[in-house]
Amino acid sequence: MDLVSDQGLRIDGRRPKELRKIRCKLGVFAQPEGSAYLEQGNTKVLAAVYGPHQVRNRSKALHDAAVVNCQYSMATFSTFERKRRPRGDIKSTEMTLHLKQAMQASIKTELYPYSQIDIYLEVLQADGGNYCACVNAATLALVDAGIPLKEYVIGCTASLGNGDVPLIDVSHLEETMGGSNLTVAVLPLSGQIAVLEMSQKFHVDHLSLVLNEALDGCRRIYEILNDTVKNHLSEIGAISGWGKSDL
Amino acid sequence: MSIKSTLNDSNKPLVCVPGQRLCLLDNEHVSGNGTYEHQGYIHSSLAGIVKISEKTENNVKRNLIEVHGINEQSIVPAPGDIVTAKVMVLNQRYCKCLIKCIGDVVLSRPYRAILRKEDIRATDKDRIDVYKCYRPGDIILARVLPLTEIHSYQLSTAESELGVVIAHSDAGVPMIPISWTEMQCPKTHNKEPRKVARIVPENAPV
Repeated sequence: MDLVSDQGLRIDGRRPKELRKIRCKLGVFAQPEGSAYLEQGNTKVLAAVYGPHQVRNRSKALHDAAVVNCQYSMATFSTFERKRRPRGDIKSTEMTLHLKQAMQASIKTELYPYSQIDIYLEVLQADGGNYCACVNAATLALVDAGIPLKEYVIGCTASLGNGDVPLIDVSHLEETMGGSNLTVAVLPLSGQIAVLEMSQKFHVDHLSLVLNEALDGCRRIYEILNDTVKNHLSEIGAISGWGKSDL
Repeated sequence: MSIKSTLNDSNKPLVCVPGQRLCLLDNEHVSGNGTYEHQGYIHSSLAGIVKISEKTENNVKRNLIEVHGINEQSIVPAPGDIVTAKVMVLNQRYCKCLIKCIGDVVLSRPYRAILRKEDIRATDKDRIDVYKCYRPGDIILARVLPLTEIHSYQLSTAESELGVVIAHSDAGVPMIPISWTEMQCPKTHNKEPRKVARIVPENAPV
């Protein structure tokens, strides 16, 4: 079965360069300092940020930076098959490490010595691009928590369909049926890449094509998240009279 | 067009997001809270509104660019800060406290801190008895000491303005300070030893 039909449509009816619909919301929980909910097509993720607070494990404390602690987990009901998913298995540990790397690239950790920032991510429904959805949700939650960031960090995937057609923001079906997947997390304003991962080898000729496509996707997701944050801010700010500021 | 005139043109506050470039970093603009300098520009590091105030430094007027988040700032105690803490546990050598406020900012989550015996008072250091200075439940004012290898905040009350602010007697009544070292319960008239703080209004003339 072809991933892109003769009419140039993908299995779920998208064009090759079309993102899935992104819906997101900031401040969904009261307890954490910041939280966010993000839907990328059928992938749904919740993120919560606690901190900065004192380091729990004292030996891990850094004297010049905050410790970023990520935790990635998937709900039992998140996939087609209902399955208990223990925390700390290899897949989620790897995910956690990659998330930490992406978040550390964006958070201004040097402002909080001897402190810790916890980021908890829960995948409610998995339909491909879990990592990207988590990165995007975590960014929103960090913004909501008011933690100083260098800039957003945005994740996006890309793959190849029919041998040479770059597909953007791949779904689970395309992830499993298609060839290699490229996952990238970038700081979109400066164009720095925080995380880059390939599930398999890419041909050299295809790599730049797919990478550019993924970077373009990041820029478009950035615009969407930016709009959401600005709307959220104006809404909250208008209600609270822009805080106690004397503007 | 400068950022200031942009702000003044519209009455609406300027909303910015992390990473947004605010203005050129030059002699007229200084980056303040919620911003950072990168490659000759001032960028925002928070989502919030831009605030510009004038700051005079060495007789040079400059615009201080700040970004205020919508919810309160997340801050951590820094050395030299005056904090409000609650005494939790006492022993012969130190008392454990919880930092509740930094300056006039109430923390959403308390920080653990330690007040060592030597740091309770500035004078007569070798004759300090922790139990005669603080009791569990007391609210104290203290200064944060520089961070050392010990991964916990250290406090000091070795100033006359620092020490117990609020203390309750056994009867559960707030006590009244009667000297620098004693407090009295208005109900039972019991006197209890404390390291009392001399409360001065923050904007009092020095």
